[in-house]
Amino acid sequence: MTDPSGEPPPRRTVDPRAALSTAAVEVAPEGTDPQLLGDVVAWLVAPRHGPTGLRRAVLRQAADEVAAAFRAALPDRPDADQAIAATSTLRRWAELGCRVALVGDPAFPGRLSMSWGHHTVPPLLAWRGELGDGPAAAIVGARRATSYGTGVAAWLAGTAARAGVRIVSGGAVGIDASAHRAAVDELGATTVVLGCGHGVGYPRVHATDGGLFDRVVGGGGAIVSELLPDQPPNAGHVRERNRVVAGISDLTVVVEGGQRSGALLTAGAAAEQSRTVLAVPGDVRVAGSAAPHRLLQEGAGICTHPRDLLEALGRDAGDGGGTDQGPAADPGTTSPRASSLPDDVHRHLVGAWPRSVLIDDLAAATGRATGPLLAAVTRAQVAGELTIGADGVRLRRG
Amino acid sequence: MTAAHGVLAAIHGVTLLGLEPRPVQVEASIGPGLPGLRLVGLPDAAVREAGDRVRTALQRSGFTWPGERLVVNLAPADLPKVGSAFDLPLAIAVLVATRQLPASAMTGTWACGELGLDGTVRPTAGQLPAAAGARDLGASRLLVPLEAAPEAALVPGLSIVPVANLAEVVAVLGGEQRPRHIEPAPVLLPDDGPDLAEVRGQPVARRALEVAAAGGHHLLLSGPPGCGKTMLAHRLRGLLPPLDLDAAREVAAIASLAGERAPDEPLSLRPPMREPHHSVTAAGLVGGGAGVPRPGELTLAHHGLLLLDELLETPRAVLDALRQPLERGQVVLTRARVRVRYPCRVQLVAATNPCPCGSLGSDTRPCTCRPDRIERYRSRLSGPLLDRFDLQLELRAVSREALAAPPDGESTATVASRVATARALAERRWGPGTLNAEVPVASLRRSCDPPALTRLADALDALGASARAFDRALRVARTVADLAGADLVAGDHVDEALAYRLPTLVGSA
Repeated sequence: MTDPSGEPPPRRTVDPRAALSTAAVEVAPEGTDPQLLGDVVAWLVAPRHGPTGLRRAVLRQAADEVAAAFRAALPDRPDADQAIAATSTLRRWAELGCRVALVGDPAFPGRLSMSWGHHTVPPLLAWRGELGDGPAAAIVGARRATSYGTGVAAWLAGTAARAGVRIVSGGAVGIDASAHRAAVDELGATTVVLGCGHGVGYPRVHATDGGLFDRVVGGGGAIVSELLPDQPPNAGHVRERNRVVAGISDLTVVVEGGQRSGALLTAGAAAEQSRTVLAVPGDVRVAGSAAPHRLLQEGAGICTHPRDLLEALGRDAGDGGGTDQGPAADPGTTSPRASSLPDDVHRHLVGAWPRSVLIDDLAAATGRATGPLLAAVTRAQVAGELTIGADGVRLRRG
Repeated sequence: MTAAHGVLAAIHGVTLLGLEPRPVQVEASIGPGLPGLRLVGLPDAAVREAGDRVRTALQRSGFTWPGERLVVNLAPADLPKVGSAFDLPLAIAVLVATRQLPASAMTGTWACGELGLDGTVRPTAGQLPAAAGARDLGASRLLVPLEAAPEAALVPGLSIVPVANLAEVVAVLGGEQRPRHIEPAPVLLPDDGPDLAEVRGQPVARRALEVAAAGGHHLLLSGPPGCGKTMLAHRLRGLLPPLDLDAAREVAAIASLAGERAPDEPLSLRPPMREPHHSVTAAGLVGGGAGVPRPGELTLAHHGLLLLDELLETPRAVLDALRQPLERGQVVLTRARVRVRYPCRVQLVAATNPCPCGSLGSDTRPCTCRPDRIERYRSRLSGPLLDRFDLQLELRAVSREALAAPPDGESTATVASRVATARALAERRWGPGTLNAEVPVASLRRSCDPPALTRLADALDALGASARAFDRALRVARTVADLAGADLVAGDHVDEALAYRLPTLVGSA
């Protein structure tokens, strides 16, 4: 078609491929080849391409080094349209404060790279915060958790975090959030693996300003996603993230989950990679105990105390879990912390732990006047001795 | 004006713009022309039909209808007139204009009432506010329908002349008959409503009710169906002190205007309580309608409780309409011709389910909602709406054992006496009738022990609560201190006040 005005068509002033490399430099950590990263992203953003196809193509190459295999697998340099799409994707990551590395790169989590070749490891990973490289334990479970489940998850995560173990889990509400929160409260680093891209902000409660995700990043942890920035949290993506959770952890603990829980996928992925799987026994009457009980039946280790977790990691359990005899032992005896709560109230909460107690029941059990009891509970909450949730108050074990 | 044209009659009536009375003068004049009636001065349909009613009523009561041209003007001409209460002044104006009644008979006397075709004088809605308005506008005597007389007689400083029909009107005004004596409607003390002693368990909710009653705080109850939200809300009514006479008259006037009150009903000192269904519209809630807007549920709950069950099922736009009136204590409804102001000093009690299916947190029924839906559901509670509720409470279903057990709590009378003492303390501090919930924050701060303020700020910081929570907690703490008989708000009071907040996250540690 001719231009009636006779002016020449506007010329592209910047070469799309050059722009792609520039954008890749902004998100590539040390040791990652920006040009290769740009080419991989360009391949991934092309229609009907995905990480699985890329993996397959890369694995077909007979190169020793992953990077070389990538280079061999990618057809030609991306065309201009792909380059433009990839540039905006990389810019989006940069906006979100993410860094992106390819599998095999020095910045890519070592445990995940190790499995490359015979496991479904993502070709690239985008993260906010610090990934860290110490021992890591995945604590996973249902979103629809009981107060027992969230209580145990918080206990395990808090104790492990104090022993210097990084906690890894999904970003969901329930067990995941409980574990992250307990670890962050103990100033531990945690890794949140998202089931969506970084730009999506799901689940919303955790992705808000000052929400759990911000606290994780602020506490030296990381938010991780293998997905492009705006990919939604659909069922497939959420399921897939479970193998990343298992892949970047030394062991996996399943706290609560139904018969078809995603926690079983995490445990399965961990077992495939010959990593330890532990399960926390639950209440036999509760549907959410199905997953851990099935794992126990299939040979998973039992986890009834943070000590079990730390021993499986080969770490000294001395300072965290206490040296008491029983798993459900009185946290009052293991905790040297003096309580600001009245004795009888404290005793009652200790007896119920890790379950929550409604303040109504607390008042009935102790016979105390409601007003002063509420005041005492608030004081203890401010002092960090207990947490208050929809299902009542629970002692924080430490 | 010549005698041939008859007398120019001018009879006083009253119309209501909302609760505000406006004087209306009904003027009638007979002049030469074809027989007929011309009614001017912005009459609505009911007023226009008055002509036919009055004509038939007069004729059937044995009076004559002029065989000339009759012009009736409702002055001021630019004020919209609504309803059938102008029948009686209109009939009297015609009687005076046709010299069937001396004009002097109506000096200082106002009239309102509807006419039946046989001459009966019938009551209309809003007789009480109309009578009060007539007095305020300078009437010394008011002709009212016999049936409505007990209600009108509640207005002090106004002589009420009850009339049953037109013949009686003329007889009484002409001095042939003594006006009937009428007793004002009796004053009814609050009867025994549902008692707090019947509530099993729920000590936290009981305490929250006590605090709510003492401070006038808006209360939000969240809990599964059947946990007793409505039951508790009903018992809050019993904890409120009885209304004083002025407030009771105001409440009765509003009910009378809305047509929700029988004229011979006793004057109740019980604070009103309204429970609109959650499908209520914004107009139904704050008032509205064609012509002069009618009072809504909010105004009908003036000096009492507005109970909103299933708060989150009510459309957001409807709830938003509540915000400004709640803050100001009055609703202003502006229409093309009128601007109506209704009072609404209301204590709001709202109940909501914890999740869409309602079973979250229940031990017996598992919740079937997806977690993200729960999140979304609860997020609708956030922000400006949640900020209205000083007291927020998460309730749980009472266990079967507790239900079977004998009642274990205090009675309404016991708690109500503590509430009365606390309210008296607050009134001594802020002035008569002022509740802690209405006091500006600056004044609240002055009645606080400074360390308590620091403690509140520190605690909110530690709990990650918003700055808006500060004011709410401070108000509640003031009430808690009043209940404890303390002059200054101390740390303990602040700590308790902080406990009346909904946990922000579901099932999280």
